[in-house]
Amino acid sequence: MIVCVAVVGNQNNPVYLQSFTEADDALKLHHIVHCSLDVIDERVNNPKRSGPTLNETFLGLLYPTENYKVYGYLTNTKVKFIMVTTDLDVKDADVRNFFRRFHAAYVDAVSNPFHVPGKKITSKSFAERVSVIVKSFGSTAA
Amino acid sequence: MEDYPEELRTPPVSLACIVGCPELHQTISGFLHAEQPPINTLALPDFSKISLLARKQRDPLAPPQPAAGIFKRDWLLKHRTRVPAVAAALFRSDHVTGDPAQWLQVCTDLENLKSVLHGRNTRLVVVIVQTQVSDALSEDLMIALRKRAEIDAKHLIVFVQNDSSELRQSLNRLASLFSELCMTYYREEGRRIRIRVEKKTFTSTELNIRYCFKVAVYAEFRKDWAEALRYYEDGYRALREMTGTTTRLPPIQRLVEIKAVAEQLHFKISTLLLHGGKVVEAITWFHKHVTSYKQLVGVVEVAFLHWDWFSRQFLVFAELLETSSAAIPATLSHFGTSDNPLTEWEFQPAYYYQLAANYLREKRYSLDNLLSTSDLARKVAGVPESVIPALYLGQSARLFEEGDTVAVLPLSDAEYISYALAEAERYQDAYEIIALFRKAYESFNRRGAPRMACFCSSRMAKEYYAAEDYSNAKQLFESVAGLYRQEGWATVLWESLGYLRECSRKLGSAKEFVGYSLEMAALPILTDEGPEATESRRDYCPAGPATISRRVAIQEEVFALVTNAQTPEAEAGGESNLLLTKDLPLCLNIDLTSPLRIVLLASVAFHDQTVKPNSPTLITVSLLSQLALPVEIDLLEVQFNQPTCNFRIVDSQKDISTAAFILDDQDVRLETALLKLLPNKWLRLTYEIKSGQSGKLECSSIVAKIRKNLMISCQAESPATMEDLPMWKFEDRVESFPIKDRGLSFSGQKVIQVEEPEPQVDLILNSLGPALVGETFIVPVSIHSKGHEVHFGELKINLVDARGGLLMSPREAEPFDSHHVELVSISGTPEEEESQADIDNIRKIQHSFGVVSVPVLREGQSWSCNLEIKWHRPKSVMLYVSLGYSPSSDEATLQRINVHRSLQIEGKIPVIISHRFMAPFRREPLLLSKIKSLTISDQKESLAWNESSTLIVTARNSTEVPLRLTSMSIKLEGESDDKNFCSVHQIGGGISPENALLVPGEDFKGLFSVKPEIDCPKLGLGTVYVSWVRDSKRGENQHTIATRQRLPDINVEKPPLVVSMECPPHAILGIPFSFYVKIRNSTSLLQEIKYSLGDSQNFVLSGPHNHAAFVLPKTEHLISYKLVPLSSGPQQLPRITVASVRYSAALTLSVAAATVFVYPTEPKFGLEGSKSEVVV
Repeated sequence: MIVCVAVVGNQNNPVYLQSFTEADDALKLHHIVHCSLDVIDERVNNPKRSGPTLNETFLGLLYPTENYKVYGYLTNTKVKFIMVTTDLDVKDADVRNFFRRFHAAYVDAVSNPFHVPGKKITSKSFAERVSVIVKSFGSTAA
Repeated sequence: MEDYPEELRTPPVSLACIVGCPELHQTISGFLHAEQPPINTLALPDFSKISLLARKQRDPLAPPQPAAGIFKRDWLLKHRTRVPAVAAALFRSDHVTGDPAQWLQVCTDLENLKSVLHGRNTRLVVVIVQTQVSDALSEDLMIALRKRAEIDAKHLIVFVQNDSSELRQSLNRLASLFSELCMTYYREEGRRIRIRVEKKTFTSTELNIRYCFKVAVYAEFRKDWAEALRYYEDGYRALREMTGTTTRLPPIQRLVEIKAVAEQLHFKISTLLLHGGKVVEAITWFHKHVTSYKQLVGVVEVAFLHWDWFSRQFLVFAELLETSSAAIPATLSHFGTSDNPLTEWEFQPAYYYQLAANYLREKRYSLDNLLSTSDLARKVAGVPESVIPALYLGQSARLFEEGDTVAVLPLSDAEYISYALAEAERYQDAYEIIALFRKAYESFNRRGAPRMACFCSSRMAKEYYAAEDYSNAKQLFESVAGLYRQEGWATVLWESLGYLRECSRKLGSAKEFVGYSLEMAALPILTDEGPEATESRRDYCPAGPATISRRVAIQEEVFALVTNAQTPEAEAGGESNLLLTKDLPLCLNIDLTSPLRIVLLASVAFHDQTVKPNSPTLITVSLLSQLALPVEIDLLEVQFNQPTCNFRIVDSQKDISTAAFILDDQDVRLETALLKLLPNKWLRLTYEIKSGQSGKLECSSIVAKIRKNLMISCQAESPATMEDLPMWKFEDRVESFPIKDRGLSFSGQKVIQVEEPEPQVDLILNSLGPALVGETFIVPVSIHSKGHEVHFGELKINLVDARGGLLMSPREAEPFDSHHVELVSISGTPEEEESQADIDNIRKIQHSFGVVSVPVLREGQSWSCNLEIKWHRPKSVMLYVSLGYSPSSDEATLQRINVHRSLQIEGKIPVIISHRFMAPFRREPLLLSKIKSLTISDQKESLAWNESSTLIVTARNSTEVPLRLTSMSIKLEGESDDKNFCSVHQIGGGISPENALLVPGEDFKGLFSVKPEIDCPKLGLGTVYVSWVRDSKRGENQHTIATRQRLPDINVEKPPLVVSMECPPHAILGIPFSFYVKIRNSTSLLQEIKYSLGDSQNFVLSGPHNHAAFVLPKTEHLISYKLVPLSSGPQQLPRITVASVRYSAALTLSVAAATVFVYPTEPKFGLEGSKSEVVV
């Protein structure tokens, strides 16, 4: 199950962060997302060790933490997507698919003429779309 | 890892035992230890000690007991230190060959040793120690000894002691035999047990695990790492299977034992993998280990034991990873993808340290929970005394003493829990956790993972906070908050700030408490999700979750605090609140980098860029607050760098009298306005402001007084250079501007330039038209005070070339003063003359710059001086004069006012001097240089030697002013000597009062006769001096000025021929007259002359038209014609041309020279008979 998705701007500022847990561990998830930026930095700075091709946006598993696995995705405009899941056995293809859909939703959200680039995304329809994508992630994996 | 026993941490080393000959023990054991692989030595000095090697006697008839545990705690130690693979008996050769008693002793010793080793596979070796080679034993004795010992021939060796080379050989022999036998021993032991494992001849899983462990250890003794690894893994797997099956022990202790064994097996496996360089395998193995045991928490009461154990797994693995030299394989790439599921951090010890710390925290929480809930239960059970580690690994037992009998009794689970709790309570987990986080923090920092390091740092700080070490906690949280502020992570920043707030509360720092609280209340947290879940309260900071309602609550608390009112929450704080009140009123300073800018941001803009002094301008003060609730400001003080401009704004809704207590200074201007700051809404206040002081007027800060005791001093910012609010700039909200005027909010400045006051002093520069080169030109400067008194006045004079060039000649070799224009002096007014001496002290005059001080002038007084400027070259000059003064004599308010004037003055040449030479009338010397150099036009003037010529010097007034000449003269250079060379006399043009006045454009001509007396190609004629004065009405005291011009050098040469013509000046119609041409040959050569005369209709003439003649040296030839004029008036004589053949030169007389006036009749004036020839 995906417990958290986040969009982090190119100044490493949070643009969108939504957790999907019943428990009140939002703070912990904030920390996890923030720390995962270090791994993204490292992957981006050592391109030879990261993805198979230069244009690969999917960064893969960033790090496993106590109960979670953190996956990352980097767009061409250096906006980072981070996904935290509790599933221990995740298929790469599922995660890639998730990020692809998430990216599309993000692009639609920031294409809104009323959105100022770099600012937080407060669009409700984006949030709804994200929660649909998040929910469907479990069903395709099953 | 340090907690592990030595034998577990280090790889096993074979053990050999030597008995007898203690003097050799050190040599042998040292040598064996240095061997590769090393062999440890158990050295027994004599045979009485061999009982140490004896096995424990076990009743052979007793039925096999079910295994009471998995590993015996000391089994490994026993094999490392007490059970040798080889036992060597050392006998001196003389003892063997000695008397029968000695031989008997040897035999007995051997027997004893054999019996001790009975039942073990320990190999026996007999060593005969000889002092030298020659002491060799006889063959018979050797055989006898071998038989006694029941050993092979090769196990009996000779050791030579005294010869060094032999000693070395003997040692080598011994070592190779030992190592071979050790290998055999451990192989056989291993095989023996392996058979049991393979044939599954064990009765329980415990034995299976034990056997696997033993096989693996024996393999390690043999350095067979692969087999060791395989059997450790087998054992580990078997152990995992028995988790749910065994019932041997009470459930809690059972789990403890299994985990202890698993830990040991895992440790061995990890070590082997890492030392074999298989990092990836080791990490994968570790993950398996962790995942399979993570859920085995056991009952709640002992959860802390599980987390303690679990944390230790991470710690040990981190240490192993740190100490092992194995690096990340270079081939490894694509971290975190399906090709390589591992991620970078899993190769970092820091990652494991951090997790170890996390689980240790987990342990503490479960322990704390347990201690708080199960106090009673524990007291009932009581803590059992003298609990010791039992025989088997991971088990505990109670030592029971009654009289002399000591018994080891098993523990019940309840007893065990009490014991474990008592033990756990003794440990200070907090410092352990901090140490782990610090390790992780340092390591992450080194690796360039600042956020992870930051996270560790915040965890560390939390532990310090929990341990009530507030100053350390505060320091760490501050560093953490810095990063979060920078990247705008409001939620995590909230957490740190919440702790910081509490730390400062605990440390009694009210200012920081208020600062942090206000920052929290102003953070961009706009959600208000759900009720507070108390369960995960420990994850939150003391300020609770980041919600908008908490922001409101915090702000209310702080504002209540500063009004000294008590909120329920503050009252709960109790005594700490008292600490806060003692350093009130509080003053918070907010500068450009302060995180508190979100609390109050002050933007100040003047509506103009410059303003006249004392004239009003508008200033807009805009305030912005992001606090959750509206803020009511009681009093706002706007402070400037000129304190007189400061003003205060009082809230119009408040009663002024209540605010009066802060109005200590009654002079300050007071305004009223509605001072209510709404969240995220600019409060704009525009006021008129006047400044009397010129210079920069800058708004420095805005001080807001809120409630009774809070004062926020906010550094003013210009809207033009204002940066976005650090946390709020990413928020999606409507952008608003500090000033309504959009242009001003982009370009407004908090600084305005106040101009200087209008000078009320006149500075007048006069000039009398253009200046003339050479004269001392006087520019009168007058200062007239109209409204200001002049104090400390100073006049600065500066001369600048109007075309921007230098006033100085760059060439140093300039014959006279190198300055083209210079300021000669400044003279005061006549009445100031007597104080000239002290004025001179202050005066500084350079060539183009001068400073002069001005005396004190009262209103209406005036002062003047004259500037004397001298031009050396005609140049246009800008004269700048500036007067700086202060209108009052008070030195403290030394405000200077400057008046500037400038004047352009043309420098002109007064007279242009030109000159020209004229030969004598009708007398032409032949000058060869004139003939030769026709092409060179600028040839020097040539004059004939010893012939008089006329020099006409013309002085033309080139100015616009009339000049009066006083003299014109030519002065020869070199004074008297030159008199011999050339004589110059004035012959005309004398200056009289009538012709002295030279109006502009008028010429004055002076006539001079020049007679060179030396034949010289370059003769200096001297310099023309023209003295003049300006023709002014009042100019009595003017000095005459000499303008001089050097005449160019002339070329003097001897003329070979001189032609002169004689003719009467006038003739009378019809009356004949004579006309002669004289040619004088001054050479010593015969000169041929050709001459011709043209016809003229006005004259009838007699004489040849064309003819030639020869002139003898130094003689004169005369050509004469007789002419009769035929018409009257000025008439041209017939044209005569004289040519010298030798010099190819021809002479035609000029028209003027060949003109004669013909009277119609005899004129009546009596001036007849004058000769037409002009003799000079």
